Amino acid sequence: MLAASGLVKHYGGVAALDAAGITVERGEVHALVGENGAGKSTLVKIISGTVRPDGGTIELDGRTVQFANARQAADHGIAIVSQELMTFGDLTVLENLFPFGGPGRLGLVSTRAMERLAAPVLAELGLRVSPHARVETLSLADQQLLEICRALLQDPRVLILDEPTSALPREAADRLTETTRRLARRGLAVLYISHFLEEVLRVAQRVSVLRDGRTVLAGEEISAVSVDSLVTAMLGDTGPAPAARRERAVLGGSSLSLTGVGVPGRLREVSLTAAGGEIVGLAGLQGAGHLAVLDAVCGRARPAAGSVRLPGGTVPRSPRQAVAAGVAYVSGDRKGRGLMLDQSLWENATAVRRLGLGRDGFVPSRRRLVQRTERLVHRLRIRGGPYDIAARLSGGNQQKAVLAKWLDADPAVIALDDPTRGVDVGARTEMHEIVRDLACDGKIILIASTDLTELVDVCDRVLVFQRGRITDEIVGEALSEQALSLAMNAGFAAPS
Amino acid sequence: MPPAVTDSAGEYRGGAEAPGRPLYRRFARDEVGVIAVLVVFVAGVGFFHPEFLHSGNLLSITHNTVYVGLMACGIVFPLAMREVDLSVGGMYAMCMVVGAVLIRDGLGTWVALIAMLALSALLGAVNGAVTTYMRLPSFIVTLATAMLFRGAGLALADGKQITDLPQSDSFFTVLGGNVAGVPTAVWVFVIMVAALTVLFTRTRFGARVRAIGSNREAAEFSGLPVAWTRIAALSLSGLMAGVAAVFSLAFFMAGDPTVGQGYELTAIAGAIIGGTPLAGGRGSVVGAAVGCLILSAVASALAFFQVPINWTTFATGGVILVAVAADTLLRRIRDPRPAGG
Ligand SMILES: Nc1ncnc2c1ncn2[C@@H]1O[C@H](COP(=O)(O)OP(=O)(O)OP(=O)(O)O)[C@@H](O)[C@H]1O
Ligand SMILES: [Mg+2]
Repeated sequence: MLAASGLVKHYGGVAALDAAGITVERGEVHALVGENGAGKSTLVKIISGTVRPDGGTIELDGRTVQFANARQAADHGIAIVSQELMTFGDLTVLENLFPFGGPGRLGLVSTRAMERLAAPVLAELGLRVSPHARVETLSLADQQLLEICRALLQDPRVLILDEPTSALPREAADRLTETTRRLARRGLAVLYISHFLEEVLRVAQRVSVLRDGRTVLAGEEISAVSVDSLVTAMLGDTGPAPAARRERAVLGGSSLSLTGVGVPGRLREVSLTAAGGEIVGLAGLQGAGHLAVLDAVCGRARPAAGSVRLPGGTVPRSPRQAVAAGVAYVSGDRKGRGLMLDQSLWENATAVRRLGLGRDGFVPSRRRLVQRTERLVHRLRIRGGPYDIAARLSGGNQQKAVLAKWLDADPAVIALDDPTRGVDVGARTEMHEIVRDLACDGKIILIASTDLTELVDVCDRVLVFQRGRITDEIVGEALSEQALSLAMNAGFAAPS
Repeated sequence: MPPAVTDSAGEYRGGAEAPGRPLYRRFARDEVGVIAVLVVFVAGVGFFHPEFLHSGNLLSITHNTVYVGLMACGIVFPLAMREVDLSVGGMYAMCMVVGAVLIRDGLGTWVALIAMLALSALLGAVNGAVTTYMRLPSFIVTLATAMLFRGAGLALADGKQITDLPQSDSFFTVLGGNVAGVPTAVWVFVIMVAALTVLFTRTRFGARVRAIGSNREAAEFSGLPVAWTRIAALSLSGLMAGVAAVFSLAFFMAGDPTVGQGYELTAIAGAIIGGTPLAGGRGSVVGAAVGCLILSAVASALAFFQVPINWTTFATGGVILVAVAADTLLRRIRDPRPAGG
């Protein structure tokens, strides 16, 4: 029912899209995959009317359409949940769900009617928040679900989801894929972008692959592909050679320790130590307290009881003190906590060392900063140059830029929270390799992730949190997704 | 809206050597617009009224701009970090009165000068400290302190001008006089614009101001001293009001508690015309100065066209709208879709 073909989009001299196309039928989930910067988001932004193409056509039910803006696309029944959050933080959940005013009479909005309409949709996606909560108090995951609810409330014919599960914990992601399939069975056409290839195989009936702005695999039946064949299609022939892994030893010496740390409402008497060279995972359901540990280490959450000691003995009382003591905080919330989106990549990549630590002397030479950025761009294989404005990088490349700015500061403790959110499979492996490398250099690494496979892949051991306490520790061989999932949900009647 | 740098994404793809002079290009793009508007406007008026172009007239336009212009250059800093300072007008009046009172009561003029500057910087810092530690928006804090400052000035001066000052003192003859045929105040204005431009674009403080304005939360997580920078930025804008007060006192040789009404809004308007958006993250000191010059040039041109004086405010409003709209439009044409990701 939706067919886009020959789409071309140039930014400056570069083709973001170059003869890309996709067709999505009623009743199917059609997955779109590709490397970071392949043009996936650009393609769906064109379909949903937020980006004007330089060439190509879009057909809806056989008729050629052109959208001047998002509203027109919405009027044609196309709803999009974009990769970056578009929530209004100051407004309530309900107000976010009905951005155009919602149901009501005589221009007056009826809160009761809005609640009635919203309740089943919220329930379907398992979003359990008060309709009157301010959205900025919600977690990234809940905000993501909120956006999906908003799209569903438009009652669309075509639903576009751009990396909807990148910030979602496992249960929520599973529920979302379930819902997506159900919606398709009800006759919706769903276009689904994801970097989780197993998830793609589970949720989609067909899949298309974009590479460097071109469609290289168009609408292949899902039964005819595998994770490996998709990766090959995404990368072309030039798959990166796996680097030789360095031997790593847990060093004694300087370590990070929490003793009896309590943060009201978040942590209760948590004690842990992490030594140099160690990669310690932090896992838990939403609100279990594992993220509060990262906040405490970064000086964001002040413990009411107990103490946090960084290597060297510093007790971080503010983010500034923590950064000065060598703590890095790599956040998956790149838009909120990570990047200055309206500034260039070099300004972002050098921000911590230049502005936070002030290690560069009085007037840092721009040339040196740009050169440093270039090295980071190269090391992390960021698609973009030092002078590119961060907002114009693709989502995955923005995420790499967040890591870049902390690598530049050469920290001793690295706190990672969903560090590879929205990063493609190949780059994810490379980033994990960098994390291991950092550990080899004796850094202390704490990592939390909504994606359990990430923890299994990189961690030496994982601490499992429930209700603000450490309830389990899973070490080495015993570390698996099932073990983690079991430990996280242990004691709850049903996994929630 | 991000800066209007449209260095195309992939010219530098994959970390290739970056060609070009983006610094020059960015500078040019950000300020050339307002400068062109000023030049075209002045030339246009001069076409109908050649007397408008006489150096005496141009100099007097510039001299009239100095006081608000200094404040506009200072206010760029809070604006670029997404704060605002509405107290500069009140600060200006109060500092003048304080200076006049001190001099009248026999304090040395140069000591009085230092007292005025110190007082303005200190009160600016108080604005910043209250904003930071009471967790209030600077809009509200400075709205209140604007009245406090002006009220203090009125009370100190008992609502009247303070005029019995030693007019032959070198303070008045030098700072209120001319150097090489140009008012000292204009020289100082030029030096201040240059110094603040360096401070804004070249120093760590300036970069921190812009970083915080761009994304405060990310700046905090990156270890930037957000509270301190805010206090310093508001202190700086206060100090610039103090500098304006010093030159104003030296020139008018009187402390008038009612001067500078609405200067804060003119200063903000000048900064916005000059390309410092209220959204923060960037700004231009040169632009702010030129923006204020445009506003004075318009006021002066109206007199040449014999527009009744009471229409000046109306026209100024129109100019602000047109200038800001034109600037936004130009940026949109250059850069149709700023958002991405
Ligand atoms: N507004 C813009 N200005 C300049 N270049 C842009 C802009 N938007 C996107 N690009 C470029 O277009 C290319 C494709 O970006 P796009 O966001 O579509 O990638 P993507 O496939 O969604 O990647 P990801 O998986 O990282 O989200 C990238 O190289 C990006 O830098
Ligand atoms: Mg994308």
